[in-house]
Amino acid sequence: MFDWFDWSAHPLNVQTFLAMLIGSLIVLGVVLGCVTYAILLERKIIGYMQLRIGPNRVGPWGLFQTIADVLKLLLKEDIIPNKADKTLFAIAPIISYAPAFMVLAVVPFTASHLFTAGLDVGILYYIALSAISVIGIVLGGWASNNKYAIIGALRSAAQMISYEIPLAMSILGVVLMAGSLNIVKIVEAQKNFPYVWYVVPQILGFIVFLIAATAELSRAPFDLPESESELVSGYFTEYSGFRFAFYMLAEYVYLIAMSGLAAALFFGGWSGPLLPGWLWYVIKAGAFIFLMFWTRATMPRIRVDQLMSFSWKVLIPLALLNLLLTATWKIFF
Amino acid sequence: MFGLLKGFGVTVSQIPKKKVTLQYPDVKPNWPDRFRGVHKFNPNLCIVCNQCARICPTSCISLSGSRGEDKKLHIETYDINFEICILCDLCTEVCPTEAIQMTDTFELAEYNRDALYKNMEWLVENGKQHAQRKGLIGEASVHDANDTDEVAGKAGEK
Repeated sequence: MFDWFDWSAHPLNVQTFLAMLIGSLIVLGVVLGCVTYAILLERKIIGYMQLRIGPNRVGPWGLFQTIADVLKLLLKEDIIPNKADKTLFAIAPIISYAPAFMVLAVVPFTASHLFTAGLDVGILYYIALSAISVIGIVLGGWASNNKYAIIGALRSAAQMISYEIPLAMSILGVVLMAGSLNIVKIVEAQKNFPYVWYVVPQILGFIVFLIAATAELSRAPFDLPESESELVSGYFTEYSGFRFAFYMLAEYVYLIAMSGLAAALFFGGWSGPLLPGWLWYVIKAGAFIFLMFWTRATMPRIRVDQLMSFSWKVLIPLALLNLLLTATWKIFF
Repeated sequence: MFGLLKGFGVTVSQIPKKKVTLQYPDVKPNWPDRFRGVHKFNPNLCIVCNQCARICPTSCISLSGSRGEDKKLHIETYDINFEICILCDLCTEVCPTEAIQMTDTFELAEYNRDALYKNMEWLVENGKQHAQRKGLIGEASVHDANDTDEVAGKAGEK
């Protein structure tokens, strides 16, 4: 059964295509479940950190809260503003969501690589696709024809494009260590010398990765594109109902994908004692997600005039230094 | 630099602490004694002096009375429009006999505006329920809820 899902071993015929389709649907279902409970957990954790209880009215411990929210959003009227660019307005959330879901293809969630494309350019694929989701956000903001949406979209363009660079550079250190762009191979390379997860030798790179990933996901303290206190809701101010849900979904799927990437690159992916591989992956990615929520409950938003200089004058030099150190280390060992 | 980590420590240390949330519809806070909620009305004390309606800043009180056999005025209708009532307590302040007083209820959400126009019967009933909540009376009438003699004595002193 499992080798049926091993795409690389079969020619692309109808059967393989069907298997791919089913596999992607299964992944979609799992990811939707993860997103549902990631949102609930975020609200709970931030609630607990603020001496509140968080959602607890729908179902035991608020377990069905997010499901109720999504159902409500699906039943809402889908409003398209009169002066909006209707076509772009309609497709922007899809453009935003598709890459967030597509990057999951290279995240190796299990040791048996079920539903994982073992791309030899996995990292490149990930970075290239994650740059596309910016286009969806900019299009959505532009098509809304609303000043807040445009400001949010332009901020998001500036921020995401700037922070792509330190993100990619911090990953490059790991790539140098492992000698491969294939994420599966990177996970396996962490079993070799120096016999620790890359978070230890690449600690500088990991810190840069953390900050750049937070900015890339536009989560607090880098939530300038949707800062509620300044812009009504940023780039999806004019969105409602299903399309709004799509933007939220894209944000959280991207969060999960980024956590999966972090777990694979810096924490040895599925490797770990006693527990099965997928559970280790869940624990590592979950810790990363928890860190994001924790940051959101702790940090105030960064000032907009410090945003760009922080990326270009602090993070990129740090990432370059990390690259230099890694390269030097590789020469001597 | 380490200030950042300090902040993380602060937020994570909040998690085990006792939560301050009250599960509002199930658990209610203890209102202070002078909480200005929806009014209660005691028709037996009212002398139809119209002072409450006159002082009301939003003119939400409308009342009418008639002179009975004993040359005394008796209240007939007493309506408060809670759409515009701001629960400012002025009617209670000016009432010479404390016929109109405030309770601790405040939940007046309705589906139509007419339902917010409360008449004398509703206000009396509200007073009864308030007295029951406070444990002042069992199933007795409103007339016993306020000790009429005491109130009348107070009014006489004024």
